[in-house]
Amino acid sequence: MSLRNHQSLRANMTGYAFISPFIVGFLAFTLIPMFISLYLSFTSYNLFTPPKWIGLGNFEKMFTSDPKYWNSIRVTFTYVLVGVPLRLIFALFVAMILNTKSRMVGTYRTMYYLPSIIGGSVAVSIMWRNIFSNDGIVNSLLSALGATPVKWFGDPNASLTMLITLSVWQFGSSMLIFLAGLKNISVEMYEASSVDGASPVRKFFSITLPLLSPIILFNLIMQTISAFMTFVPAYVISKGEGGPMDGTMLHSLYLFRQAFMFSNMGYAAAMAWVMLIMIAILTAILFLTSKYWVFYETEKGR
Amino acid sequence: MGKKGWFLIMAMLLVLTTACSGANSGGNSGASTDGKVKLRIAWWGSDTRHEYTQKVVDLYKQKNPNVTIDVEYASFDDYWKKLAPQAAANQLPDIVQMDISYISQYAKNGQLEDLAPYLNQKIQVADVNENVLKTGVIAGKQYGIPTGVNVLGFQYDPALLKKAGIDKIPDNWTWDQYKELALKAGSNKVYFDSSMAADIFFHYYLRTHGKSLYNAEGTGLGYDDDKLFVDFFGGLAELIKKGATPPPEIMNQTKGILEESDIVKGTGIGIWQWSNQYVGLQQVVNRPMALAPMFGPNMEKGVYMQPTMYWTVAARSQVKDEAAKFIDFWMNDVEANKLIKGERGVPISAKIKEAVAPELSEATKQVFDFVASMEPKASPMSPPPPVGSPEVIATLTDYIEQVNFGQMTAADAAVKFRADASTILANNKQ
Repeated sequence: MSLRNHQSLRANMTGYAFISPFIVGFLAFTLIPMFISLYLSFTSYNLFTPPKWIGLGNFEKMFTSDPKYWNSIRVTFTYVLVGVPLRLIFALFVAMILNTKSRMVGTYRTMYYLPSIIGGSVAVSIMWRNIFSNDGIVNSLLSALGATPVKWFGDPNASLTMLITLSVWQFGSSMLIFLAGLKNISVEMYEASSVDGASPVRKFFSITLPLLSPIILFNLIMQTISAFMTFVPAYVISKGEGGPMDGTMLHSLYLFRQAFMFSNMGYAAAMAWVMLIMIAILTAILFLTSKYWVFYETEKGR
Repeated sequence: MGKKGWFLIMAMLLVLTTACSGANSGGNSGASTDGKVKLRIAWWGSDTRHEYTQKVVDLYKQKNPNVTIDVEYASFDDYWKKLAPQAAANQLPDIVQMDISYISQYAKNGQLEDLAPYLNQKIQVADVNENVLKTGVIAGKQYGIPTGVNVLGFQYDPALLKKAGIDKIPDNWTWDQYKELALKAGSNKVYFDSSMAADIFFHYYLRTHGKSLYNAEGTGLGYDDDKLFVDFFGGLAELIKKGATPPPEIMNQTKGILEESDIVKGTGIGIWQWSNQYVGLQQVVNRPMALAPMFGPNMEKGVYMQPTMYWTVAARSQVKDEAAKFIDFWMNDVEANKLIKGERGVPISAKIKEAVAPELSEATKQVFDFVASMEPKASPMSPPPPVGSPEVIATLTDYIEQVNFGQMTAADAAVKFRADASTILANNKQ
C-alpha cells in the first residue's frame, strides 16, 4: 500500500467515524425496517405468532376481495386531487397579496404561516371538530345566513369536504415558498410590460405564472406526497373509525386499523408498499409532464 | 489505520452498545438477591382512575417497603397500541390490566400466566362467587382475575320518562314493550335512548334466544338463523326511522362528546350501557337518575355478570409471586378498596363489598344495589370473544351503520356479516 493511499484511508476513517451515528441510525431505523416490511408484506403476521409466508396472498386480497380497500383508495385520491390544487391556488393567492408593500406585511405573513406550524397536531383537529360540530361556529354562521346547518360528521361527503377544508387552511408552507419565488421575479419585467400596456391579468398569466412554474412543480410534488400520507386529522375527527360510512377512511387510516386494531401486520405492510409504488408513479408522471409546462429561465424560453 | 481512528470507532461503538443495552434493561424487571422486588404494572383509563390507582400502588409500597412499582397507563386506544409491540418483544409488564375482548388473544398466544396454582395460596378467593371467578377462565386455565363485575341495563332519567308520557319502566318488560315505549316517547318529541352498541346488545339478544355471537371454539358465529339479526337490527332501524331514537347523522356528530348527547341536554331519556358507566354519566347529567334491568323475554338467560376488566400476570414475568400478591391486595384489602370505591366494577369479594358499602356515593350505591339484584338472576357468561373479534365487531358496526343510514336492508346486512365474520373467524381453526 502506498503512503498516499494509506493516508487517504486514514482520513476517510475519521470521516466514517463521524458519520457513523447517522449510518447506524439509517440502517437500524430506515433501511432494515424497510426490508423487513417488504418481507412481512408477503406474510400473514399478527405480532404474536411468527410470520407465515403466503406469497402474493395479501395483494390478491387487496385487489380482488376487499371493497374497503378500494373505498380507501377512492377517498384518498379524492382528498389529494381536490385538496392539493385548492391548497396551492389558495397559497398562491395569499402569497400574491402578501407580496405587496405594506407595513403590516410581516405580521400577516407570520399569522398566515401559523396554521402550518401547528398544522399536523391533534389539537388543531380537535378544534376543527368543534368548529364543525352541531352547535359549532360554522353551523351558527350558516343558520345566521338563513341556510340549513350541515351535519358535518353525519354525511360522508360533508365530512370529506370538511377534511379537505382543513388541508386547504394549512397552506402556509407552500405560501412561503411561493412568496420567495415571487420575490425572485424582477420588477423590470412588470415595468416593461406596463409600458407595453399589459393588464394585471395578462401580467399574471404571461409573466408571473411561467416564471413561477418551477416552484409550482416543487410545491405540487411535495404537497401531493404529503397529502397521500395524511393521517392525524382523519384519525382525530372520525375518532379513529374513518366514518361516517367510511367517508373519511383515508388509506393511511385503513392501514392503521388493519395493523393496530386487527393485528393484520402483513396485510398492512402490503398496503404500505402499494401506496409507495402509487406515489412513485404519480410523482414520475408529474415530472414527465413538467417539460410541457415548466419554464426555466436559463433555457431562454426554449 | 491510525490509532486515533480506531479509538474513535471503538468509542462510538461503546456508546451505541451501552445505549442499546440501556434501553433493553429498562424493560426487564425482576427480583434481585437483596430482597428488593421491582414490579411493572399497566392499565388504561381516565384521569380519576389514574389518580386513585396511583394511591393504591403507593399504599402497597408503603406496606411492602421492599417493593418498587413502575406504573404505565394510557387511554384505552393507546394502551393496546403500546401493549401489542411489548408482547411481541416479550416485554409485557408483570401485571397487565386486560380487556375481555383481548384476553383470548393474549392468553392463546402464551403471553399470560395460568393463575390457578395461586388461588387460595397467594390470591384468596374464598369470598368470591364461583361464576364470577370462572369468567377469567379461558381454555380451562385461569388467565385473569376480574377486577369487578358489571351488568347491562338501561340508565335513565325518571322525570323525563314521565314527561314523555310513560309512568315507569314496567317490571319484566319485553323487547316488544321496549319498542312500544320508545315509539311513544318519540311521538312526544323525546328520544327514548341513543340506540345500542351493535355487538354488545346483539349478543345479549342472541343469548335471550339461547344462542351467542360466537361459537364456543371461536371458529365461527354462534347462531344459524339470520332472522334473529333481522329482527334485532331491523327493529332498531325502524325506531330510528320513526324518530324514537336519534338518526345516525346526529349520533355520529355527538359521538364521544358526552356533553352534546341527548341525555345530558335533556332531550333523551336514557342510555343502554354497562353498570360501571353509570357513576360517570350521573355526574355529567346532574339530575336524579335510575337503573332498569334489560328487556326480556328470557332476561335471565340473556343477562350475565361481566368482568369489568381483568388483572393478568405476564407469562415471562420474573416476579409472579409478588404480582399475585398485589392482585390479592387489590381484591381483598379494605383500605385499598376504600380508595378504589368500585370504580373498576363492583368488587368480586363479598366481604369487601360489605366493608366499603358505607363509604360509597349515592350513585355508586345505586350501582351496587342494581348489580346485587341482578346477580342471582344472571346466567353464566359466554366464553370471552375469540381472536379476530375486534375485526368482526368493526365489520358488524360498519354494516349496521349502512342499515341505519337506510343504504342497506337488515336482511342483506345479515348475509354479508355472516360471510365476512365466518372468513375472519375461520383463521382460528387449527
